[in-house]
Amino acid sequence: MGNQKARAIASVLIVVLALVLIVTGVVGMSRRATATGEEILTNMRTRAVLIATGEGAVESYVAIAADQAREAAQAAGASMSEIREAVAAAEEEARNNSSANLLDYATADTTGLDAALSTLRAALMDYRAEEAAAEAAYVEQMQATAAPEETEVDTSQLTSEADLEAMLAEEEEVEVDMSGFVATERMNELRAIADEKYAGVCTELMALYDTLDQAALDTLEGTIFDIVSQSGDDFAREYDRYNAAGGAAALSNRFGAWVIRYGDDLVYVGVGLILAALVVFFYPTLVKKLGVPRMIIGLFFVLLCVVALIYDLSLSGLMSNTLVRMGMNSILVLAMAPGIQCGIGLNLGLPIGIVGGLIGGLLAIEWQIGGWLGFVFACLVGMAISAVSGALYGMLLNRLKGSEMSVTTYVGFSIVSLMCIAWLVLPFNSLELRWPLGTGLRNTIVMSDATSFGHILDNFLSFSIGGFTVPTGLLLFMALCCYLVWLFMRSRTGVAMMAVGNNRRFAEATGVNVDRMRIIGTMISTMLGAVGILVYSQSYGFMQLYTAPRQMGFVAASAILIGGATTSRCKISHVLIGTFLFQGVLTLGMPVANALVPQSTISETMRILISNGIILYALTKSGGEQRA
Amino acid sequence: MSAEYVLQMKDITKRYGENTVLEDVSLSVRPGEIHALLGENGAGKSTLMNILFGMPVIHATGGFSGTVSLDGAETHIQSPHDAMEKGIGMVHQEFMLLPGFTITENIKLNREITKPNLVSRVFGKNLETLNMKAMAKDARTALDSVGMSIDEYTLVQGLPVGYMQFVEIAREIDKKGIKLLVFDEPTAVLTESEAEQLIRVMKQIAATGIAIIFITHRLDEVIAAADSVTILRDGKLVATRDAKKTNTLELAELMIGRKGESMVTAPDRDKPHGDKVALEINHLCVDMPGEEVRDVSLKVYEGEIFGIGGLAGQGKIGIPSGIMGLYPAAGEVNVFGAAHELGNPRKSLENGLAMVSEDRRGVGLLLEQSIEDNIVFNAMQIKGEYLMGIRLLFSLRDSRKIRKVANQMIKDLDIRCTSALQHAGTLSGGNQQKVCIARALLMRPKLLFVSEPTRGIDIGAKKLVLETLVRLNREQGMTIVMVSSELMELRSICGRIAIVSEGRTVDVLKATDTDVNFGLAMSGIRPNQEGGSVNG
Repeated sequence: MGNQKARAIASVLIVVLALVLIVTGVVGMSRRATATGEEILTNMRTRAVLIATGEGAVESYVAIAADQAREAAQAAGASMSEIREAVAAAEEEARNNSSANLLDYATADTTGLDAALSTLRAALMDYRAEEAAAEAAYVEQMQATAAPEETEVDTSQLTSEADLEAMLAEEEEVEVDMSGFVATERMNELRAIADEKYAGVCTELMALYDTLDQAALDTLEGTIFDIVSQSGDDFAREYDRYNAAGGAAALSNRFGAWVIRYGDDLVYVGVGLILAALVVFFYPTLVKKLGVPRMIIGLFFVLLCVVALIYDLSLSGLMSNTLVRMGMNSILVLAMAPGIQCGIGLNLGLPIGIVGGLIGGLLAIEWQIGGWLGFVFACLVGMAISAVSGALYGMLLNRLKGSEMSVTTYVGFSIVSLMCIAWLVLPFNSLELRWPLGTGLRNTIVMSDATSFGHILDNFLSFSIGGFTVPTGLLLFMALCCYLVWLFMRSRTGVAMMAVGNNRRFAEATGVNVDRMRIIGTMISTMLGAVGILVYSQSYGFMQLYTAPRQMGFVAASAILIGGATTSRCKISHVLIGTFLFQGVLTLGMPVANALVPQSTISETMRILISNGIILYALTKSGGEQRA
Repeated sequence: MSAEYVLQMKDITKRYGENTVLEDVSLSVRPGEIHALLGENGAGKSTLMNILFGMPVIHATGGFSGTVSLDGAETHIQSPHDAMEKGIGMVHQEFMLLPGFTITENIKLNREITKPNLVSRVFGKNLETLNMKAMAKDARTALDSVGMSIDEYTLVQGLPVGYMQFVEIAREIDKKGIKLLVFDEPTAVLTESEAEQLIRVMKQIAATGIAIIFITHRLDEVIAAADSVTILRDGKLVATRDAKKTNTLELAELMIGRKGESMVTAPDRDKPHGDKVALEINHLCVDMPGEEVRDVSLKVYEGEIFGIGGLAGQGKIGIPSGIMGLYPAAGEVNVFGAAHELGNPRKSLENGLAMVSEDRRGVGLLLEQSIEDNIVFNAMQIKGEYLMGIRLLFSLRDSRKIRKVANQMIKDLDIRCTSALQHAGTLSGGNQQKVCIARALLMRPKLLFVSEPTRGIDIGAKKLVLETLVRLNREQGMTIVMVSSELMELRSICGRIAIVSEGRTVDVLKATDTDVNFGLAMSGIRPNQEGGSVNG
C-alpha cells in the first residue's frame, strides 16, 4: 500500500508540474500576438538591425582611417612595407575605437527607427507573399509543360538502407529549374515600395551612425531585408533569427520572452509529463497488461514524438511515414505468427520465403508483367516456390526439435549466401535486372511505378489530409492478410496447430499429427514471407538482392516480440502493435537523432541496438515459461 | 560416541502454507544401528530427510519447528554441505555420479588429495596437483569395505546399475568422520542378489559404529536388515518397533491403517458390475520412463469403478498411458470385445476411450489457452464437433456453441473461474482437474481412465472430483478405471482394486479387504501366499 501511495504522490507532483508548464506555455503562446509579443519582436529587430548596420558603419570608418593613413604615409615617402604596416595599425586602431564608442545601444533613441522598420517589414511581407505566389505558379507551369524526365539513378553504389533512405527523400522533392523565372510586374511594384520604405530606415540609421554613408547603406540593403523579413515567418522563426543576429540583448525581460518563444514546447513537455504521470500512477496495471518491454518502447515512442515536436519536425509527415513503414513490414512480421503458433518458435529462417518472393518479383519484371497483374503474379509464383521450400524446411525442423532457434538462424544465413551465388548465375535477360556489363543481377533493382508494380499498394486509394498521407491500399492489404491468418487460426487445423505450439505433449495425447502441423505452420510462415517481401519492395520502390534479406528475419522477430508475443504464443494484435511500435521508433528515431546529433549514424546504431536487444530479452524469457 | 543416540529428532512439525506435512514426529537413532523408516508415498519420509539435510526447500518455506540433536548436542543444519561436515551422508536413489570419471575420481570428488607444485605455490591451493596414488588407495579401502573387487580406475560409464549403487556407498563411507548414513530406497533398482549383498554391506558398515537410516517400502527387507523401525503415516508418527519383535503383517497394517472416515461413499448396488468385459488386458508392457509396466493382466467389467493402486514409480500410471497410446506399449488389449490398437492416441479416443491425465500441466492442459478452448479441443479435433462452415474443407470454430457448452460444464462441475475465457494456466489445481474431466466428458466416452485425479488439489475439490466420478458411474453407467496412489480414495469409491508393484499386478483385492492384505500387496507380497513375494 505504501508503494501505491508513493506512486500517487509522485504522479500528482508530476501532474502539477505539467500543468504549470502547460499553463505557462499557453499563456506565453497567447501573448505572441499581443502588444507584448510585438514589443519584444520590435526591440529585437531594431537591435539586430543596429548591430548589423553598426558592423557596416565600423567597416566604412575603418576604410576611411586606412585611406588617411596610406595617404599620410605616402606623403612622408615611406617604403611599401612601411605603408602596409601603417595602414594595418591605423585599421586596428580605428576598429577598436569605433567598436567601443560607436553607439551605446541602451541609451540610443530608436523610436523613429522602430517605426521605420515596422513599415519596411510590412512592405517586405507583401513583397515576399507575392514572390512566393509567383514562384509557385511558375513551378506549376513548368511541370505541366515539361513531362518529368525519368531520372536515371545509379543504384550500384547504394548499399546500406540509410543511403537508399536518403535517396528516396530526395526523389520526393521534384526539382524545377528556377533559372528561367522572371519577376512579375506586381513584384516589381511591391519591391519599389519596399525600397522606398528602406530610404526611411536609412535616414533613421544615418541619424544614429554619423559615419554611415548612403553607399554603405546600399550594400547593406540585402542583409537588412533578410533580417527584417523572410518568407514563412512566424513568431518563433523571427525570434530565432533576431536572436542569432544578437537581438536578444535588447530584451528587458529575457525570461518572459523565452517563455513566449518556447510556449509551444512547454506545452508539449507538459503533455508528455501528464502521460508520464499516468504511467507512474497506473504502473502495475500497465506492466501487467503490456509487459515491461512494450511499456518502455511505448514510452520511448512518446518521448520521440515530444522531441520531434520540440525540434519543429513535421510530426504528421513522420507519422505518415510510420504508417507506410508499418504497412510495408507488417506482412513480414505476420509471417512470424504461424511459426510461433505451430511451435517452431521465431522463424529466423524467414529469408527462405523472402528469396521465393524475390524470384517471383524478378520473373514479373523479366517478363514485363506490370501493374496489379504483375503483383498478383509475383505473389503467386513466390508463394508456390516458398510452399515447396517451406515444406522441406519444415521437415528439417521436425528432425531437430528443441533447437529450432539456432537451426532457423543458420538456415536463414545459409540460404542468403547460397542465393548470392544464384543471383550471379540465374539466366535473367532483362537489362533492368542485369548489370549493364558482365553477368549477374544488380544489387538493387528499381521497381518503377510505370512499368512494374512499384508503389501499387501504396498509391491505391491513397489520400492525404494536411501532410498526413494514408496509404489506403497498403493498409487494406495488411488488414486482409491479418484477417486471413486470424481466420485460419480459428479453423480446425489452426486450433490443432496452436495446440502443438502451446503444448506438444498435449497435442500428441490427443492424436494430433504434430509433425504435419509443424510443417503446415512453417509453410504458411514461409509463404507469408514471400508475400511480405513483395509488399515491402513495392512500397520501397526497390528490390534488394544479395545480402539484404539476411537481417530481415531478425527485424521481423524483434517487432513481433515488442508487440508482446513470446516464443510460444502470439496473436494478431501482437503483430500490429509490434510493427507499429518498432517501425514508429525507427522512423521517428532517425530524424530526431539527426536533429540531436547532426551528421551522425546514431539512428542506424539505435536500430541495431533495439532489434537485437529485444531478441535477446525475448530469449531470456523463452526458457522460463513455467508459471506458478 | 558418548551420547546414547547419534541422532535425535524431536517433535518435528513442518507446514507448507496451510498444509501440515509433518506433525510432532520424533526419530532416534543409536550408533551402529540400522533404523528403517517406513511409510507410503506422502507419509512424510522425504520431508523428514530434507529437514535432516537442511535442504534449501525447507528454509525457503518457513523452516520447521522441533529440535535436531547430533551426539546429544542440539544443532542447526543450515545446508546439505553443512550436514556433510557434521558427518551425515546420503546414498541417493538416483545416482549422483559423473559417468566420464573413474570410480576413484567419483569417490574423491571435491575431496581430492593434492600435493603442492610450483604453480600452486604461486597461485594458491586450487592449482595443486592431484595425488592419484593416495586417492586410489583410499578408494580401494572404501571399495573393499563394501565388498567390491572392481578396479578403482574403471570409468563409471557403463557400470552395471548395482555397481553404481555401491560406488555411491563407497563414496559416503570414504568421508572422514561419517556418523550417519541415509539410504534412500537403495534396493529399488537392484536385483535380488545385489539387494542381498547391499544388506550385507549395510550390516558391515553398521558394525563399524556408523548408524544407518534405511528408507524403503519393502517389508521383508526391513525385517531382514533393520534393528528398529519407525513408521510414518500421513505426516504422523505411527509407531516405533524393534524389528525382532515384529513381523511383516503388523508392519503392513501399521503402514496402511484406516485413515479416519472416508470422504466419499459410493452407494451400494445389488450387483457390483455387469457381466460383459469392458476392458481386457493381457501381458501389457509399457515403456514409460519412471513408471514401467512389465507384465500386467486385468479384466474390467462394464459399469464398474475399477481401481489401480500401488506405490509411486511401480508402473500403475503406465497402464492407462500405455493403453491410450502415449507411450510405446506391447501386449494384447481388448476394449468391449474388439482388439485395441496400441500406440495410436487418435484411435483410442475414436474407440470411446478417454483419459484424464495425472500430468495436468504437462499433458492435460493448454495452459495458455482459455478454459473453453481446452474443454472442446478433443471433441473438435476427434469428432469434428463445435465447428461451422464446410466440413473438412473450411471449418471454423463455432464460438457460440463452444461458449454455451463451456458455460454448461463450468456450471455442472462447479469450475471456479472468472469466465470461460480465463486461461487454464491461471486456475487452481482442482479447477484445472475439472477442466480436464470436462474435456473427457465431451467425448462421451464408454470407458474413462482417471489417473491420480486428486493429486495436488485441496480437500474440497477432491471430494467434488470423486463425487463426480461416482455420479457418472451410477447415473450414466460409465465404466471408470481410476489410478491413484491414495489407497483411501480407491477403497472409498472402487469396487475392485488391482495393486501393482514393480510393473506387475500383485493381486486384485476387494475394497473391503483388510489393511494387512493391502499393506502386503503394496510391498509386492501376494497376501494369500504369505511370507514370499511374487517377484522374489
